[in-house]
Amino acid sequence: MFEWIRFILGTGLLCIGVATFILEVFGVFKFRYVLNRMHAAAMGDTMGIGASLAGLMILFGFQFVTLKLALVLIFLWCASPVSSHLISRLEYITNEKLEKYCEVRSEDQNRRISGQED
Amino acid sequence: MSRLIPEEEYGKKPAGAFRQWMSGIRDPYLGNVEVKARAGQDENEELLKEHQEEVVSVIRKVHDVANNSQYILFRKFYKAAALICCLTLTVMLLVTVAYLPPVGSADNPAHNEVAAKYIEDGLQDTGAVNIVTGMILDYRAFDTFGESNVLFIATCTVLILMRNDKKKGKGSAEEEEHRDSFYEPKADKILQTAALILVPFIILFGIYVILNGHLSPGGGFSGGAIIGAGLILYLNAFGFEKTERFFTAKTYKWVSFSALSFYCIAKSYSFYTGAHHLESGIPLGTAGNILSSGLILPLNICVGLVVACTMYAFFALFRKGGF
Repeated sequence: MFEWIRFILGTGLLCIGVATFILEVFGVFKFRYVLNRMHAAAMGDTMGIGASLAGLMILFGFQFVTLKLALVLIFLWCASPVSSHLISRLEYITNEKLEKYCEVRSEDQNRRISGQED
Repeated sequence: MSRLIPEEEYGKKPAGAFRQWMSGIRDPYLGNVEVKARAGQDENEELLKEHQEEVVSVIRKVHDVANNSQYILFRKFYKAAALICCLTLTVMLLVTVAYLPPVGSADNPAHNEVAAKYIEDGLQDTGAVNIVTGMILDYRAFDTFGESNVLFIATCTVLILMRNDKKKGKGSAEEEEHRDSFYEPKADKILQTAALILVPFIILFGIYVILNGHLSPGGGFSGGAIIGAGLILYLNAFGFEKTERFFTAKTYKWVSFSALSFYCIAKSYSFYTGAHHLESGIPLGTAGNILSSGLILPLNICVGLVVACTMYAFFALFRKGGF
């Protein structure tokens, strides 16, 4: 019974991860703008990898391999969002027509919001 | 050398012209091959019209793809030829694969006495549990020495091409680096925090891979690459001011030089004593311990240092032109 629950849980998580990856690939080829595509790619790098590695960890059970998988997961979760953040920041700095693609706060609004937070 | 005719007249003759060209006085191409702008194009309207018609006709002839019969024929031929080439190659490769022996069969040509010797005697000869490391750093250590030198030579070549010696002013290394990375996000808090957490673990893992090279998969090359990647991440997050506190061209020079020369001297000694059937005096130790397998551990450390320095030097040279 316990084995069955573990198997179903593991394969379910793996399926969620693979489905996220399919969505990611679809989004990267469907969207035309950098930030949209980056959003799709980062989705797979965080949720897809997280779900599929968690599924594998459950399937492997309590072993040394599980610890290694957890370390891989932590490393990827540290690395991939940071790189996405850098790409988006570069796009924000270099693209002069950013208002065409997304909502951009003006300097005034920025100051007001940061003033409220203080 | 006396000459009957004066220099100017001599230069008009072929022999004289050749001599002048050889000694670099005359350049026959100078002033003869440059394209000159058409004089008086704007004033003469008829000439301008003619020129325009010429341009238009050329464009019509060359770029009218839909009605150019030669071009259409060529496209069809190109597609057919590409298809035939691909099919021929596929059939040839598939036929060849069909003749290959099955994977893992005992009488494959790869399973000969060479592999058997390494697997049977590798542990006893080299003292390394990891047979691959035993092979590349003991049986074939000279080959690995060559590879480390190739890395060093590659850095020297990049240094020749990319080095920027200017310290201050326009065109200096600092100024060019600043100009190249003008739009890059600098001193990014998120990247710095991530680097602060990750870099120690990356470098620690690289050291582990190098030191455990004779016991587990890994060794100098992979461990050195990991350490180099950690250094590059640190450089990207904190900039050259922080890394140049501990890693400059001087550090690179001394680390590479001492690692390569230690490798050379140690392995020369080992080969010399081995070839003359002398006792080398290097204990092999117990297989499986960290301090075992004779020279393999120090040689791994040397290779790792060279690889890590090379990776970092490549990045710094391409980024700034010096470090």
